[in-house]
Amino acid sequence: MSRQLAQRVAFGLMTLAAAVVILPIFYVIGYIVVEGMGAVSWGFIAEMPRDGMRAGGVLPAIVGTLLLTAGTAIVAVPIGIGGAIYLSEYAKDNARTRAIRVAIINLAGIPSVVFGLFGLGLFVIFLNFGTSILAGSLTLGIMTLPVIISTAEEALRAVPQSFRLVSTSLGGTRWQTIRRVVLPQALPGIITGVILGIERAAGETAPILFTAAAFFLPRLPSSIFDQTMALPYHLYVISTQVPGMPIRIQYGTALVLLVFVLSMNLVATLMRRHYRQKRVW
Amino acid sequence: MADERPAVKIRIEDLAVRYSDGTESLHGITLDIYAHQVNVLFGPSGGGKSTLLRTLNRLNDLADVASQQGRVLLDGEDILAADYDIIQLRRRLGIVFARPVPLPMSVYENITYGLTLAGIKDREQLDSAVERALLQAALWDEVADRLTESAYALSGGQQQRLCLARSLALQPEVIMLDEPTSGLDPISTFKVEQTLQQLKKDYTILIVPHSVQQAARIADWAAFFLQGELVEWGSGHELFTAPQDTRTEQYITGRFG
Repeated sequence: MSRQLAQRVAFGLMTLAAAVVILPIFYVIGYIVVEGMGAVSWGFIAEMPRDGMRAGGVLPAIVGTLLLTAGTAIVAVPIGIGGAIYLSEYAKDNARTRAIRVAIINLAGIPSVVFGLFGLGLFVIFLNFGTSILAGSLTLGIMTLPVIISTAEEALRAVPQSFRLVSTSLGGTRWQTIRRVVLPQALPGIITGVILGIERAAGETAPILFTAAAFFLPRLPSSIFDQTMALPYHLYVISTQVPGMPIRIQYGTALVLLVFVLSMNLVATLMRRHYRQKRVW
Repeated sequence: MADERPAVKIRIEDLAVRYSDGTESLHGITLDIYAHQVNVLFGPSGGGKSTLLRTLNRLNDLADVASQQGRVLLDGEDILAADYDIIQLRRRLGIVFARPVPLPMSVYENITYGLTLAGIKDREQLDSAVERALLQAALWDEVADRLTESAYALSGGQQQRLCLARSLALQPEVIMLDEPTSGLDPISTFKVEQTLQQLKKDYTILIVPHSVQQAARIADWAAFFLQGELVEWGSGHELFTAPQDTRTEQYITGRFG
């Protein structure tokens, strides 16, 4: 086989591989948009469910997902960024640091339903938070930590060492150097990682299954110790647990969840592009 | 000239630095740095000149230094002592690196960076420090109306003088320059060299030049480093016209290096 032919065959196979990856994504998104469009209206977003969720809107699930997402951010962002700063700027390369890294990698590999069970044991039962937004946020937060720590650490490490050297040589302490030079430069990368991590949490069902989610709640949650409905769990419920459910409501709910998660993704992508262009190094 | 020696600013006594990968970067260095003079450290690369600069303001604390022996006396005080105030030391000994590294901020913020770290917030004080530092670094005329622009909008030569101004803004006692003109064109290089001659009235200059020719042009005092060893040192005039050691002679006449 001539070299040119080999090149053409290899290129063709790789194009095929790329298409195999990309086409299903567009198909899934397109299918959900087409099927769900008919259900989504202002009322669908802003109304309470009626007739055993077979009619009306998904407002409590949207509010619940927003609250859980915010709660996840409050839990995971400070701890995650703090951990990343420690690992990137302070930790020495020794056995203890390596153990921490292994722990983070393993944490990222744990199935989400195990996080749910852990949250049930620790937050719901042992700490007596009950099935609540608080317990759900803490569980989702812990699940999100490894993503935030890894991406934030990577963003911090990408800041040139020479900036740290210059800041130090001008009489900067380590913390001054981090706060005034390293962190601002790493921030776009950190925020991108935060959004991607939290977006994943927003779409998760298993971790909130035992810790926060209500099957049906005829009102909006009133405190962080309240249960809540949430879009992914609601989707599971109306798809499998309610007989006689109109299909378009299922797809409408899926569409709302998809738009919520993908718009976060879009914000992250736009932000990354914006700051990449402004970056001087 | 050798009889009338100027005041000693830094006295280095039997200094040895070893990195943790086992390489010895400096050994047995005994050398005086004279106040208000241009003190030149020169020699082929790998000689330990940069290590010496970074030892003097303890920037090497950030690197993998395994052991450090000997004494470095700044105005008679041992700066290698464990309890020495390193932050204060780094304000007294400014450093300019080979490659200009402006911080990712405006020209103005670059120069005031060290001052604001020290807690100075007064706008007038900062303004006048910026103007004075830029004048001293011979950059004021070129950037006076570009202070709010990103430092990366400046040319390479301007960036390097900005880095010099940034060090000068802290009003250090010693300015250390590590091959400050290695990436610059001859005109920018000439400007920097001229600036140094002005600066030595107010500061002690310690410089690693990027060529023997530059060393010979600017040195009041010169020290020749070869593979971590100080071969010889003395007045620039003596060293470049009548070196004592054959290795020095061979190097400055271009037979190796």
